[in-house]
Amino acid sequence: MPSHELDNFIICKKCHTLHKKVPLAHDTKAVCRYCDTVIYRNHRDLFNTTLALAITALILLIVSFSFTILTINIKGVNQSLNFASMFIVMFEHHYYFVGIMLGFLVMLFPLIILSSTILLLILMKYRKYPYLVKRLLILIAKLIPWSMIDIFFISILVAMVKLFDFTQIDVDVGFISFIAVLLLDFMIIKRISFNELWINYEEIYRINA
Amino acid sequence: MKRSTESTPNRYPTEKLVRCPICEAVNYDTQSIIRCRRCKELIYKHKQISYHKTLAFLITAAILYIPANVYPILITRQLGTLQENTILGGIIALWEAGSYPVALIILLASVFVPILKFLFISYLLITSKYNMKSSKVDQHKLFYITEAIGSWSMVDVFVVAILSVLIHFSSIQIIPGTGATAFALMVFFTMLSALSFDIRLIKH
Ligand SMILES: [Zn+2]
Ligand SMILES: [Zn+2]
Repeated sequence: MPSHELDNFIICKKCHTLHKKVPLAHDTKAVCRYCDTVIYRNHRDLFNTTLALAITALILLIVSFSFTILTINIKGVNQSLNFASMFIVMFEHHYYFVGIMLGFLVMLFPLIILSSTILLLILMKYRKYPYLVKRLLILIAKLIPWSMIDIFFISILVAMVKLFDFTQIDVDVGFISFIAVLLLDFMIIKRISFNELWINYEEIYRINA
Repeated sequence: MKRSTESTPNRYPTEKLVRCPICEAVNYDTQSIIRCRRCKELIYKHKQISYHKTLAFLITAAILYIPANVYPILITRQLGTLQENTILGGIIALWEAGSYPVALIILLASVFVPILKFLFISYLLITSKYNMKSSKVDQHKLFYITEAIGSWSMVDVFVVAILSVLIHFSSIQIIPGTGATAFALMVFFTMLSALSFDIRLIKH
């Protein structure tokens, strides 16, 4: 079987069963024969919608980073939580490794993933800089397992429950926008398929070359 | 490009094809180093090297699991007295306070998830080493779960960071403990272990 024929196949990410691809109607998905995992989808207007979602998510992520997430009040004294304060407190207590991990896993990596996605989609739309697009695609795939904003949100909820008995908790702008980021992120990950992006990449830049 | 000797076009040798973890392209399994035909990344190295890397990271993580549980992850300083909480101590305190769902979440994320990851990866390494007969599909699913639950263990470390910021009063203060660093390192190494595992080890 010649190499390019391999493009007609796809392997399920969960159970690694080989499937032959069949054309899909708009807004439908193909699932694995064995484990029912979605293996690919056909989205109408994948680029523009994903780009809009990613730009909104990036703006809201920056909002979450800049504003207060929670404020508590004990005996008339307020104490607020924001992303930067966590990083600073860890360094103040000389927990450099935890501080750096926090900075990377919940701030830097999500930021890089979102901005790379936006840049990538724009470049592909205008059929520019194939090498950069390729590096961005690889970078995003490698960083995704290291982005932990979802786990961080669960941690905020756990911390809130722990504090609930002792103090009054006020949620702030950062908290609301962070929920929105998570929802958008979920939608983007659900829509975006690396396979689809790479097929598009090959098509787009082969035409130019 | 390498061509297979397969003559009947309808039969495809699944064993000889692997998925690129970066771009999802289907590649021929050369049994050694593979550079993906589409993204040109080095996606598979020598199986033995990846086997030993996975094992080394796993052992490191398992060793770190001990200080992560023995040392306090969180220290409460109240009016000059220090109260140290280990992960298990924190779970017991939550349970006694009646916060059952949160106690269960922490128990699951901080205690069971790391242990399950150690067990799953060890099982996959052992079955590949001794060519034990076992379902490939189940093993792939097991590995997928291992990767998916990996980051959950960070919950406790993040909670400590959040509480250290919020409980920062003159009368009462929460500060992180040594256990937090050990725990974060442990999660880091279990993730490295899972990422360096070569899924072709399952195919044998
Ligand atoms: Zn499957
Ligand atoms: Zn690839």
